[in-house]
Amino acid sequence: MSMSDQEEATFMERLVFNHRLMVVVLFTLVTIFLGYQATKIRPDTSFEKMIPLEHPYIVNMIEHQDDLASLGNSIRIAVAIEDGDIFSSEYMETLKRINDEVFFLPGVNRAGLRSLWTPNVRWTEVTEYGFDGGPVASRPAYMTEDDLNELRVNVLKSGEIGRLVANNFKSSIIEVPLQESYPNPENQSELIRLDYGEFSTMLEEKIRNEFQNENPNISIHIVGFAKKVGDLIDGLMAVMLFFAVAVAITFCLLYWFTWCIRSTMAVLVTTLIAVIWQLGLIHLIGFGLDPYSMLVPFLIFAIGISHGVQKINGIALHSSGADTALLAARRTFRQLFLPGMIAILADAVGFIALLVLDIGVIHELAIGASVGVAVIVFTNLIMLPVTISYLGISKGAVARSKRYAASEHPFWRFLSNVAHPRVAPIMVILGLVAGVGSFLYQKANLEIGDLDPGAPELHADSRYNLDNEFIISNYSTSSDILVVMVETPPEMCSAYDTMEAIDQLEWRMNNVPGVQSTVSLVTVGKQVIMGNNEGNLKWQALSRNQDNLNNAISRAPEGMFNSSCSLAPVLIYLNDHKAETLTRATDEVKAFAEEYDTDTLKFKLAAGNAGIEAATNEIIASSELTILVLVYLWVGAMCLFTFRSLPATICIVLPLILTSILGNALMAFLGIGMKVATLPVIALGVGIGVDYGIYIYSRLESFLRQGMPLQEAYYQTLSSTGKAVLFTGLCLAIGVATWIFSAIKFQADMGLMLTFMFIVNMFGAMLLLPALARFLINPEKVRNKKDSFLQH
Amino acid sequence: MQQPHFWRISSFEQADVQQPVPRSTAGRSRKIVMALGLTGALIGGASLAVAQDANTEALKPAILSLKASKTLLLDVELVGERLVAVGSRGHIVYSDDQGESWLQAPAPTRQLLTSVDFVDDRHGWAVGHDSLILHTSDGGESWSVQYRDPEIDQPDEENFGFLEKPLMDVWFRDARNGLAVGAYGLLLRTEDGGQNWEDASFDVDNPDGFHYNALTEVEDSGLFLVGEMGTMYRSTDYGYSWETLEEAPYDGSWFGVAGTGEAGGVLAWGLRGNMFRSTDFGDSWEQVELLTPNNGPLESTLSGGQLTADGRVVVVGVGGVVATSDDHGRGFKVTVRSDRVALAGVAGLPDGNLVLVGQRGAMKTDAQGVSKSSSAALTLPEPAATEE
Repeated sequence: MSMSDQEEATFMERLVFNHRLMVVVLFTLVTIFLGYQATKIRPDTSFEKMIPLEHPYIVNMIEHQDDLASLGNSIRIAVAIEDGDIFSSEYMETLKRINDEVFFLPGVNRAGLRSLWTPNVRWTEVTEYGFDGGPVASRPAYMTEDDLNELRVNVLKSGEIGRLVANNFKSSIIEVPLQESYPNPENQSELIRLDYGEFSTMLEEKIRNEFQNENPNISIHIVGFAKKVGDLIDGLMAVMLFFAVAVAITFCLLYWFTWCIRSTMAVLVTTLIAVIWQLGLIHLIGFGLDPYSMLVPFLIFAIGISHGVQKINGIALHSSGADTALLAARRTFRQLFLPGMIAILADAVGFIALLVLDIGVIHELAIGASVGVAVIVFTNLIMLPVTISYLGISKGAVARSKRYAASEHPFWRFLSNVAHPRVAPIMVILGLVAGVGSFLYQKANLEIGDLDPGAPELHADSRYNLDNEFIISNYSTSSDILVVMVETPPEMCSAYDTMEAIDQLEWRMNNVPGVQSTVSLVTVGKQVIMGNNEGNLKWQALSRNQDNLNNAISRAPEGMFNSSCSLAPVLIYLNDHKAETLTRATDEVKAFAEEYDTDTLKFKLAAGNAGIEAATNEIIASSELTILVLVYLWVGAMCLFTFRSLPATICIVLPLILTSILGNALMAFLGIGMKVATLPVIALGVGIGVDYGIYIYSRLESFLRQGMPLQEAYYQTLSSTGKAVLFTGLCLAIGVATWIFSAIKFQADMGLMLTFMFIVNMFGAMLLLPALARFLINPEKVRNKKDSFLQH
Repeated sequence: MQQPHFWRISSFEQADVQQPVPRSTAGRSRKIVMALGLTGALIGGASLAVAQDANTEALKPAILSLKASKTLLLDVELVGERLVAVGSRGHIVYSDDQGESWLQAPAPTRQLLTSVDFVDDRHGWAVGHDSLILHTSDGGESWSVQYRDPEIDQPDEENFGFLEKPLMDVWFRDARNGLAVGAYGLLLRTEDGGQNWEDASFDVDNPDGFHYNALTEVEDSGLFLVGEMGTMYRSTDYGYSWETLEEAPYDGSWFGVAGTGEAGGVLAWGLRGNMFRSTDFGDSWEQVELLTPNNGPLESTLSGGQLTADGRVVVVGVGGVVATSDDHGRGFKVTVRSDRVALAGVAGLPDGNLVLVGQRGAMKTDAQGVSKSSSAALTLPEPAATEE
């Protein structure tokens, strides 16, 4: 080691390279420890993390969670017969066996189970002597034509057509209410939390596969929150496979870029170590892997690879002038550590801006991603050069990079024309037109919220959504429910004034476009009052007699009011969960509450899946701008700090803004709404996208400082880094592009949008940045300027 | 057993008419609010908010809704060329194209209206819950309140619980003389077109206060009144004196009654497909056998029905039952609609078609009660189809 090298060396460099062995040992130990932690990480799709807990709707919902519980968490299993109808012994016997099987699944609230076979499904009839009634399935078995005829009559009298029995009589539903936690069968005092993933698997194996395989004439359709979460977890597992695909593709690309198996492996392994560290760290923090934070390892991998490539590129260039691999590594470290740090800092803080969005999964995504990029500082900025200093780079690769640097590149020469005085205005105008056009288009077409029918988390053609579609089209129900919570003092939920106000609310909601129907204790109460009056339709109204009302609601199903009679939910069934529909409904409820709320009677939003979506949409609408402003402010500040030049900052940030606008237009075009999954894309896309600009501009500036005219300086920039920039863009895009094939819809949307953002940001930096520089940057000034923060 | 009440008569000729000075201050504020509410109802809700804050009992005008003709309607009447139907939430809808399309008339209440009757093209009355009586003098396009249960505004403190007394049917002989009947033996009478309603409940011998469900005029005979627990009354002087029919053919509740078009001919019906026919104004009865299209006995409750202008008798019921007779009620042809929706009332059109009203509002159908664009989604496998 020559003295001169030591003198030039920074403190960091001395710290790292004078104790190389220690560094390697330390990193190995940390990797082993964090790797062990990473193996313990579990999928986590906790419901509460996916919703904005601070939103007033959700606060209200959580306040009444216990009272609303019996409304919400259930699954519905539709058992359908292809050939024939449900009034056959074949069907009824199968249904009975499925019913029994479901009854014994752990976590099922057995008392609440409802199907044609359960005794709580009854028929009633008004006779001269009062109510007559009995269970629909009154016989132990249905073998004869007589039995089946009786069943048919009972079903007709039960009023369950459209609810428990399909409108076309070719299927019926088993309603399965679930318990969030249930007693351990071995030890009754211990409570087991319901594992949605496991429960969903049991449904598939013990119910769907078992009975569909046994009788091809039977088909099973299952919907419900627990099933949806189970499917999400399955989708999550599939994403693991994508990671392997991304690694394999990246390996090929890396080898193509370096032609050196040693450095390829070094980059790949150090980057994978970064991923392991990140996973281990988030487990230590206490996070699990949810469908959102699942993205982080992919991002970390992509970012790590792109930084690794720059390192390798640098080391290869330095190798030609250096005697040893160690010296080349040290020089590269010296040159790239600081810009690398800054780029990573930009990423990390860009992610932190996401904390504005008050949703648990996004918080975890932001923190996880920030931790991840911080890890890259250690693995790819420190450990990679150290590794290479041992391994060295193959001679062939070094010679190749030398040849490449020296030769003339017609393609880059051609591309450098964008900085030409005549071409630059065209580029700027093209950019402007695209920007303004897209802006207007997205302004008119971009919607907030999930736009697809069914469960928006999953693809429209996923099994879950097909099952959902089956149930919606065969039964008179909707899967989008907005719940208004009506609060009264204890024992007042059945007061005439309360019930009358709820009745008014229901009719007002029924007249809002997008509302299908409403259900509450009033709806039920009116039916009971009619029933108590011999089924006379003319009595289908609320009674001013309190005894009558109390009697009426005492027959309402569970969940229509709470045990202290101080809460009555109003269920509003919606056509869909588009933001427009939700806003119309919630606005109407708010207007109604304004008019009808008193000191003792309160109409509160909101529960139900539509209520949660409405809250989420409101959060997104209110944080969208804040996040954008924060991200751009930060990115701008970073550029300003790095280059000490406002024009340079504008050159770098404007293409990013154009990309954001184009991204929004693409979302509008593809019918993807602005939602929890797509909002982070902007922050991630911009935070990472700025790397290209910083990288290109720093080179451009260094060549300008050497006194080159703009176009020539840009040509030199492209010659030295164009390939690396292209490669970085490809790496990032590939890392996230595999997501497009995810079974989880919003992951696919995220993958698509991020891929778009990364690639378009790259082109924006390569094509628009130099064109803008033509107008904004004065080469004379740059030449005379003092050294910028980065020394090249 | 509940004692019959003594109802104060109040007149609501005009909503903003000055009310008599009440004795108590509490009573006064309620009255004022009530008047405010009514005014608001008529002038379009300007003072609505005031009324609401002070007293929820105040009348609120019906909300004009596109769904008014698609939700619960209980009675429909053909008035010249126009159909008028009444139902839930103060909905009064009318159709000038024989039931193809409907318009909603502004009405000063949101209560359930149960029945409507017109004496000519212009003058009609609708009754409903809260003992409401509404009046129109322009063929159903605008309505004003004539009567409302006075007890709502002056609750009897001594009484144990408020007794809900909906009116169930209304009948007018001419533009001045009419009757309204309802729950707990309520019978109201007017001789001046409804400006004053007199409580005539004691004219009928109904010590148990059974509900009256329907009232009809019988050809060349008088009035026939039926109700809860098989009660039947008749009046030959159109409502002044009532005779109790002791030998009722059935002890279940009667939901409807209609003349058959022949002198003295009466049809009464109720729970579980029970229908009885009399040719001598109720002296003697015989059961009318109603069979479903599968030839099983009809077991659905029959709710409303009427003698149409062209002499048919049409009776409808829950479960989508439409029974029609061309021979003055001797025999009926029964249709069970595929939608099985509960039906409450029917009007016969001059061309033979029917307009049905019920749980899902108004529907125009053919003479047998089958919708022209039959909803194919709701078809039911009938037992007959599976029997070998």
